[in-house]
Amino acid sequence: MCSLSKWLPAVILGGFSVASLAAQDCPARPVSGTVVQDPYSISSKNGVLSANLTLAHSVDQAGYTHYCYKYNAGAQVAESPTLRVNPGDTLNLGIINRINPSGAGNAKMNMASNSTITCADSGEATINSTNVHFHGLNIPPVCHQDDVIDTLIQPGSPGFTYNVTIPATEPPGLYWYHPHVHGYTEFQVNGGAAGAIIVGGIEKYRPEVAGLTERVFVIRQQYLVPWVPGPYLLTLNYQGAPFVGGVPIIQMKPNEKQFWRVANATIEDFLELQFQVNGSASPLQLIALDGYPLAQTRTQTTILIPPAGRAEFIVQAPASGANAVFFTNAYSTGPTGNADLSQAIANIQLTSGSAAPAMPRAAPSAGGLKSSDLAEQAATAQRKLFFSEEFGGTNGPAQFYITVDGQKQNVFDPDEKPVITTHVGAVEDWTIENRALETHAFHIHQIHFQVLEIDGKPAADKDLRDTIEVPYWSGKGPYHSVKLRMDFRDPTIAGTFLFHCHILLHEDAGMMHKILVEP
Amino acid sequence: MKRLRRYRLARAAALVAWLLVLSGSALAATSYIVTNDDTGFPFITGVSFYTIDPGGVLTLKGQVQTGGYGIGGGYFGANRIAVLNSGQQECVFASEAATGDIVGIRVHTLNLGGRASGSPTDTGTSNGIGLVAGDHYLYASFTDSNTIGTFKVEPGCGLSFLSDVSVTGLAGGTVNAMAIRGNMMIATYTDGSLESFDIAGGIPASHGDRQHSTAAVSSQGATYPNSIDITSDGHYAIFGDTSTSMVVEVSDISSGQLTPTLVHTSTAAISSSNVMLSPDETVVYVINTQGAAVTALFFDKSTGGLSKGCTSPPIRGLSANWSYLAGLALVNKTGNGGGVYVAEFGSTSGIALVNLSVSGKKCALQEVTHSPFVDPNTTGLLSIGAFPPRAF
Repeated sequence: MCSLSKWLPAVILGGFSVASLAAQDCPARPVSGTVVQDPYSISSKNGVLSANLTLAHSVDQAGYTHYCYKYNAGAQVAESPTLRVNPGDTLNLGIINRINPSGAGNAKMNMASNSTITCADSGEATINSTNVHFHGLNIPPVCHQDDVIDTLIQPGSPGFTYNVTIPATEPPGLYWYHPHVHGYTEFQVNGGAAGAIIVGGIEKYRPEVAGLTERVFVIRQQYLVPWVPGPYLLTLNYQGAPFVGGVPIIQMKPNEKQFWRVANATIEDFLELQFQVNGSASPLQLIALDGYPLAQTRTQTTILIPPAGRAEFIVQAPASGANAVFFTNAYSTGPTGNADLSQAIANIQLTSGSAAPAMPRAAPSAGGLKSSDLAEQAATAQRKLFFSEEFGGTNGPAQFYITVDGQKQNVFDPDEKPVITTHVGAVEDWTIENRALETHAFHIHQIHFQVLEIDGKPAADKDLRDTIEVPYWSGKGPYHSVKLRMDFRDPTIAGTFLFHCHILLHEDAGMMHKILVEP
Repeated sequence: MKRLRRYRLARAAALVAWLLVLSGSALAATSYIVTNDDTGFPFITGVSFYTIDPGGVLTLKGQVQTGGYGIGGGYFGANRIAVLNSGQQECVFASEAATGDIVGIRVHTLNLGGRASGSPTDTGTSNGIGLVAGDHYLYASFTDSNTIGTFKVEPGCGLSFLSDVSVTGLAGGTVNAMAIRGNMMIATYTDGSLESFDIAGGIPASHGDRQHSTAAVSSQGATYPNSIDITSDGHYAIFGDTSTSMVVEVSDISSGQLTPTLVHTSTAAISSSNVMLSPDETVVYVINTQGAAVTALFFDKSTGGLSKGCTSPPIRGLSANWSYLAGLALVNKTGNGGGVYVAEFGSTSGIALVNLSVSGKKCALQEVTHSPFVDPNTTGLLSIGAFPPRAF
């Protein structure tokens, strides 16, 4: 049996110790209240994008531990650059782990250890180990591509290179990359280790974005110490958005339409985004969710993005003299969930010029999107899974489960056998039920799924997603649920991979399991 | 004039003394629901006394400021209130987890009778200090140091520390709840193991029967016993389990040691962390700490068997006011108990009143319309008790 109370203190203390010993290895982050810049961007050339990122960490003056992907961009060191690729490109991404492996930072996870590490470096997973998950990409779950189960990159090792072929059928849109070492993901993502991936070509499916000013926004969340309840800080492209004081500034021209690509790279915050003009939510044209263009553009005033989700939408600035704010509403995650508070993420500054790049011009349609025919397929299997939690007290010990109905509930063990086995060609309907008093965010690697039903009723918008919220149980009535159509037809994704809650504390604590897709 | 004034003063003093005696007598006859309070941060502690009016209505009599600090949370099974009604003494003991001590309160006067700490290493700052009281000794489970402290109950509800013993579960689990009957103490650990002790000499001495509960083994640790109650004859120990369903376990302890538990499960509720036997031992009340409901199981005292009873509709206020149900106290001190008062842990902590009605082998549990009673003195209510306590 494993419980948070047994291993979290070691990790927390380990983190503190490492932090106190660490050199100031990460680049300085922007000062709050200043103009927000897009992340540094590197693009593929002639079908290839090769880059090396060094993962380092340091502690800032406020005591926050930073984990940073550093990229040498000539005279400057850029943090977590945006990786721009096109379908069919090759991404060669080198990762060098230079987390300082000193002191108690070697604390290892005692809830589960992977004795079968077969990719990259040997040794046990510790708080200083890392790897990379290409969140949302429909790529193989194998070594040197998107394997997170058997890949460890240890501090001080020469490094490891991912050689990823972006499928020619990859839906164009916003994806992201982040560490995924079981037991320690939250700690590194909390420190900021996350960056955007853009698969080009969305203008071919949604010509209304062609030529618009493009903005890439990565919203992160930082606790002073992850797992310890307390105030958190949302950041926009690493610039702090404090509850009190100066928030980031986004520049727009009056009445300008911009194409915003927003990634929720927080560890647990459900963002309910609005663009408020003079206090009222302004219409947003929603173009894509989770890197997948919508069947048709939708106008909404609020866009909910669960942790790890992405939304791409068109925003129109108000006329001169108006007051506009990029805002997230308070979102209730249930009696045992975290408080996701309302706050301004950025103030809009109306200005005569902005230097952000423009989207490409409109281009001929590239044809049907992958999985666009999913709703027409017959399901080959029906499954029911459910989230559940148990607390021995208000402070734990707590256990977090995702269970296939009919199976024994267990927390994830890296050495476990897959709890679901299917095969290439399968199209399955999964009902995900939430029996916990806390909202969860379901995510599955390697594929997009289609939302068929919400709470047993046909979904109004049958979007394709890779992460979706499942609201908490209120203590009475039926459990909230979503019915999802899983597309396992692509032989590219054959192998063993993961599904889990993307509240990273829950993922690290074992609310995760393996699925095997046989060739 | 001086003499007259002196006479008047004397008469007034006599009147006050008489009123105090009257008041004391009234207090001695009063029934209370008591709560271990923690304010919001920094968790200043106190013990609130509620009188029980017709219809079970609770009215705040007053709060005894205990002068320490709590932690505003902790284990469900570790009861931070222990009530003693030994015939010689009437006391309420309350633990203060951050301060690391235990206070005794004289029920007659609602005054502090004493305060004691364990050894310098006895701490419960992460998950609290559980208490259980016998006629002569009070035991405290310190959930950080993993120790059980023994305190002698002194006259006037004072306490004096005797010693502590280190304990641990089979897989390193932390001590959680305790219960005593006669010369036996039973403790649960957070790794799903159980252990019994001989307390004939005051200081607990292990019986050497430490074992995992049956449900903990079969669930591979996904279920583990939390709170404990013991039948009046010491034949059976009953465990309320933390789980994603309702799991109650029973161990035959008539040999003087724990035996493998028998498991009763139900999907009717979630996480049955707190349990209590009714006075006539025909019913086991189950507080589903994460399920917003109270369950009554029928209990056969002769066999230790549990059978299906009833589960209440959802208790009002989940999410809006509170997050967990926690400790419980019986409505009546006789018969099937008539229902329970239940602590609600949350920003607006309160005490729910859930009545039980039984007809043959059927029963119903229903929260009364005037429930809950807000506890204004705490934002993190976990433990409540009743004075006088159940007879066994």
